[in-house]
Amino acid sequence: MIDFELTRVGTPDAAVQIAAATPTAQQGATVRFIAGGTNLIDYMKLDVETPQHLVDINRIPDLAKVEKQPDGSLKIGALVRNSDLAQAPEVLAEYPVLSQALLSGASAQLRNKATTSGNLLQRTRCPYFRDLAYAECNKRTPGSGCAAIGGYHRNHAILGVSDQCIATHASDMDVALMVLDAVIHVQGIKGNRTIPIGEFYKLPGTTPHIENALEPGDLITHVTLPALPETKQIYLKLRDRASYEFALASAAIVMQVQGGRLRHVRVAMGGVGTRPWRMPEAEHALEGQAPGEGVFRAAADAALKTARPHTDNAFKIPLAKLCMIRALTTVTNA
Amino acid sequence: MSTITFTLNNSQVTVDAPPMTRLLDLLREHLHLTGTKEGCGEGECGSCSVLLNGELVNSCLVPTLQVQGATVTTIEGLGEHTHLHPIQQCFLEEGGAQCGICTPGMILATHHLLEKHPAPTLDEIREGLSGNLCRCTGYMRIFEAVQQTAKLAEAGK
Amino acid sequence: MEQQTPQPITESKIVGVPTPRIDGPLKTTGTAMYSSDHHFPGLVYAWPVTATIASGTISGIDSSSAEKMPGVLAIYTHKNIGPLYRTPPSAGFSMILDERRPPLEDEIVRYYGQYVAVAIAHTVEQARAAAEAVKVTYNKTPHDTSDKLLDTPTIAGKLKEVTKRGDTAAALAGAAYKHDAVYSTPTETHNPIELHASVAVYKDGKFTLYETSQAVVNHRDVMAAMLGVPPENVQVITRFLGSGFGGKLWPWPHALLAAASARNLNRPVKLVVGRSMMFQSVGHRPAIDQRVQLAADKSGKLLAIQHDYVNHTSMLDDYDEGCAESTGFMYSCPNVLATSGLVRRNVGTPTSMRGPGAVPGLYALESAMDELATKLNIDPVQLRLLNEPEKDESTGQPFSSRHLKECLTVGAEKFGWAKRNPAVGSMKDAEGRTLGWGVAACTWIATRTDAEVNVELRQDGAARVACGTQDIGTGTYTAVAQMVAHETGLPLQRIDVVIGDSGLPPGPISGGSWATASVVPAALQAAQQARKQLLSLSTKTDGCPFKDKSVDELEFVDGVVRIKGQSSGGVPFAEILKTANVRSVSGTGKSTGLFGDPNQKFSFHSFGAQFAEVTWQPEIARLHVSRVVTVIDAGRMINPRAARNQIEGAVVMGVGMAMLEATEYDHRSGGPINASLADYIVAVNADCPNIDVTFLDYPDFNLNPLGARGVGEIGLAGIAAAITNAVHHATGIRVRNLPVRIEDLLVAPGNKTS
Repeated sequence: MIDFELTRVGTPDAAVQIAAATPTAQQGATVRFIAGGTNLIDYMKLDVETPQHLVDINRIPDLAKVEKQPDGSLKIGALVRNSDLAQAPEVLAEYPVLSQALLSGASAQLRNKATTSGNLLQRTRCPYFRDLAYAECNKRTPGSGCAAIGGYHRNHAILGVSDQCIATHASDMDVALMVLDAVIHVQGIKGNRTIPIGEFYKLPGTTPHIENALEPGDLITHVTLPALPETKQIYLKLRDRASYEFALASAAIVMQVQGGRLRHVRVAMGGVGTRPWRMPEAEHALEGQAPGEGVFRAAADAALKTARPHTDNAFKIPLAKLCMIRALTTVTNA
Repeated sequence: MSTITFTLNNSQVTVDAPPMTRLLDLLREHLHLTGTKEGCGEGECGSCSVLLNGELVNSCLVPTLQVQGATVTTIEGLGEHTHLHPIQQCFLEEGGAQCGICTPGMILATHHLLEKHPAPTLDEIREGLSGNLCRCTGYMRIFEAVQQTAKLAEAGK
Repeated sequence: MEQQTPQPITESKIVGVPTPRIDGPLKTTGTAMYSSDHHFPGLVYAWPVTATIASGTISGIDSSSAEKMPGVLAIYTHKNIGPLYRTPPSAGFSMILDERRPPLEDEIVRYYGQYVAVAIAHTVEQARAAAEAVKVTYNKTPHDTSDKLLDTPTIAGKLKEVTKRGDTAAALAGAAYKHDAVYSTPTETHNPIELHASVAVYKDGKFTLYETSQAVVNHRDVMAAMLGVPPENVQVITRFLGSGFGGKLWPWPHALLAAASARNLNRPVKLVVGRSMMFQSVGHRPAIDQRVQLAADKSGKLLAIQHDYVNHTSMLDDYDEGCAESTGFMYSCPNVLATSGLVRRNVGTPTSMRGPGAVPGLYALESAMDELATKLNIDPVQLRLLNEPEKDESTGQPFSSRHLKECLTVGAEKFGWAKRNPAVGSMKDAEGRTLGWGVAACTWIATRTDAEVNVELRQDGAARVACGTQDIGTGTYTAVAQMVAHETGLPLQRIDVVIGDSGLPPGPISGGSWATASVVPAALQAAQQARKQLLSLSTKTDGCPFKDKSVDELEFVDGVVRIKGQSSGGVPFAEILKTANVRSVSGTGKSTGLFGDPNQKFSFHSFGAQFAEVTWQPEIARLHVSRVVTVIDAGRMINPRAARNQIEGAVVMGVGMAMLEATEYDHRSGGPINASLADYIVAVNADCPNIDVTFLDYPDFNLNPLGARGVGEIGLAGIAAAITNAVHHATGIRVRNLPVRIEDLLVAPGNKTS
């Protein structure tokens, strides 16, 4: 870990001002905000993250609140801890998929520290990305190659992959936010702006080091979840061991069953994509249909049609289908 | 190097340490409180668990900079050799401690769990302690120790 | 030493009684001192630099910028570490280590992660930063980390015969029922939660080494030899050990780095091995291929067993896993052949991991038995009962104590085996999940090794018992205290157990499940000697009521000296010592081991039966081990509570072995790629099945007077086979390549999606 300067800020303005000095808000950022630190500190120890300036945002007031807005949406502060968010009454009542996703991830220790904004920016668990002994990692060092392709990649992505990167997005929370159509609120050097979560994450393509829409100076201040009609929701996570492990495949689903038909269907999956993976193909196949195994299977087939596996992770295609079908079956029967 | 003041096991301490020193090393190497153990250094095993402002955290992922003004409780602050905390007593009696390396973290995780769930179900115990790996006991005696502590607390009400 | 003639002790108020650990208060308060907990004035920290190639030579090491970094005291490489030596050949339980090359011996690299330098600095962060700043360049040569083992060139050029009787080839050729399959187990890493660590103190030419060691006396001998100093100049201390599972039996190179650095700098050095390094240079269970061929007649009587195994070893050291250890005596069979082969790979040297040999060996053999039972359409419990031997057919010796049949029948009863429908996928639980039920038999060696114990009865009313063994976490402190409590009648809280120090009378290694059995005779004898001395003192002390009595008239009961049979008039031993102004009386017991003795009268083994239930949900490919019934025949349990702990822990480790654990090598770099506790997954709380442990109480008095054997390892033997046999019963899929993974089961009947 290299030496760095540390500044504690008390306002978003101060945070943004300092962070504006970084040439990029992506891999290689020279200024990083630190909140819970569970991910950033790990990567700083590994020298994957090498900020010269660390800005501690924990003391900015009002960012640790969960508040119902007049328009019915839910405002979640950037510094709300994952453990608090999972237990927030509004979340439990209206967005249970989010609570389930949060509680399926990590451990009590990590959830007590990890924050909303930190989780949005959680880095991949790709072992090659984590280990500087492997020179080939386009995400860490653009143009260097990808050691995971042709290497150990059992838990790598099958959706959204490119020839440059197959790293899986690791978060559970973000998969739930995808089906809740979360909006990310950012304060930047040019003022405030909002980014729908569907536009927040970037595909690796030829630039795997660019993971999201953040620019130098950008501070995520909060996330809003639009008001939802009454829906059925579920988060189902499949993995090798029974808890405390990243997903091999997970499914977040929000839907209504009206007059025997599926409505307002949103489906996203984790553990299979290079970003939290919303599945419009599945939603399209389900919307307006009567629930049933055949429909669910067709939706799963449609959603995984573009999957591009490598040797050791091809099993994720059938597994993801099982995961989605089971989640759909469970949620429609709920 | 920065000067950090915080409350450690009910006493105020002031130490000089670089801001990214892990709380784990601050406790073990600077303050010589070695009850907090290191198992992985990456937040994957829970051996280094402490209570930070009452919340269970992995001290290997807490930089000293986040400890300024905080309250930290380690295993040494929970009970003493001659006067064990009920959780410690139950771990001892039920066989929840084997080699003992995961035990301090497991006991603090239990403390945290019982605060949230005073009468936890077996599933709540399994989930609540999922961040604490034990390679020796097979976990069953740990579950019993937690249940026994909860029972004692209920009986003592 | 004369061989002990055991006097069986059948009654005891404390031996055999479930007892909380006497070290429990230290462990639950965090005050037990593990090796890395030790601190000394002037202590500095070491962080190794590890090779990032698996084969080749170091062409250059540039440490110039690292040396200038803050707090850095030294960077040691093969050029300046100073003299370190190889050990002479091992003899008995001395001079044992698996990686014989001292660290930094030369510029040759033979495995990924081999130490190539070490940085020393004032803080651990500074040392780590400096280590990362050392620039090492290499001349790479081709490496081989392939896990294809069978039918690849072995070191010896041919397979070595391990056990042989009859004509296996002929029996296999002519049999009506045959089974032939290859079972593969991956590299497994011990991953005790306590990291390996060394705190080396060097003063006036002498080393005090705080080590994570399962064998302090051997550790001292090896370190002295490698540091080139006499053994009396080295003291090795392991007060508490955060487990080891065999990984901490013998010294590893990091201990030499710490000790050599302490000598070079003349100050205490702490080196804690990082978790990722724990996958590289502190041993592992090797990858193994095993081909098992069985033949039987129609009734199920075994006609032939052939067991050929090949395990990988490192480029320099020959580690033989010993998978066929039990093949020769497990079942009655006229024709048996077992062979072994070692193949070289560019990996760190393998070492014993919990139940070496038997654990992977029985996974293969007991899987094969299950497959044979299916072919014969015979119940798998019955097949084992049918082939129970009368004696150890590999040696002709009688078994000292073998109750495998009872293990199987008691286990079957407890498990409800009679309700098993053998048809694949035919059983469901209340929630509609498919059930699979599997069984496996297991065995593990029973023996004892040399031991010396000193017992002292002190004026303060306490007893001190000292032995150069150590407590790996299993409860040796408590078991030793129980032995002395039994002999002296003192309560446990008045017995100080002093172990974990090479300066103490030499004691057994904490390995092989024989530490307890080994200590028993010496501890009892030492306590008896101390008692004799106490009684003798009583008869010679002015002012003592027993002055001028004969020793034969006296007895020592419940801490009190008295006239034989008289419950009144006794004097606490502390008072006698005070009256005599003698600080303590003591006795030393020495016992000779049986290990490796060719003239043993018996075949000593523990036995057991493992019954496992899995639940299988094909709709989400979720497999869970829900229930395990284990019945163990391992002599008398000195502390049944600690023993049950051991078995439960082993069962859960077995769940890991069967379904989770594998060290994955990136065959391009040659390095373990899942080298963390997030990526090498071990069982967590939620994976733990409901475990029912039963001990058959057959004391083995041929082994020692308490009839105690050991239970550290047997609980892991057989469990993986019981689980995979259950998986087959549930899914119809036979996984012969551990661990069983989701992808193996996705093709199971009932999974329409593929």
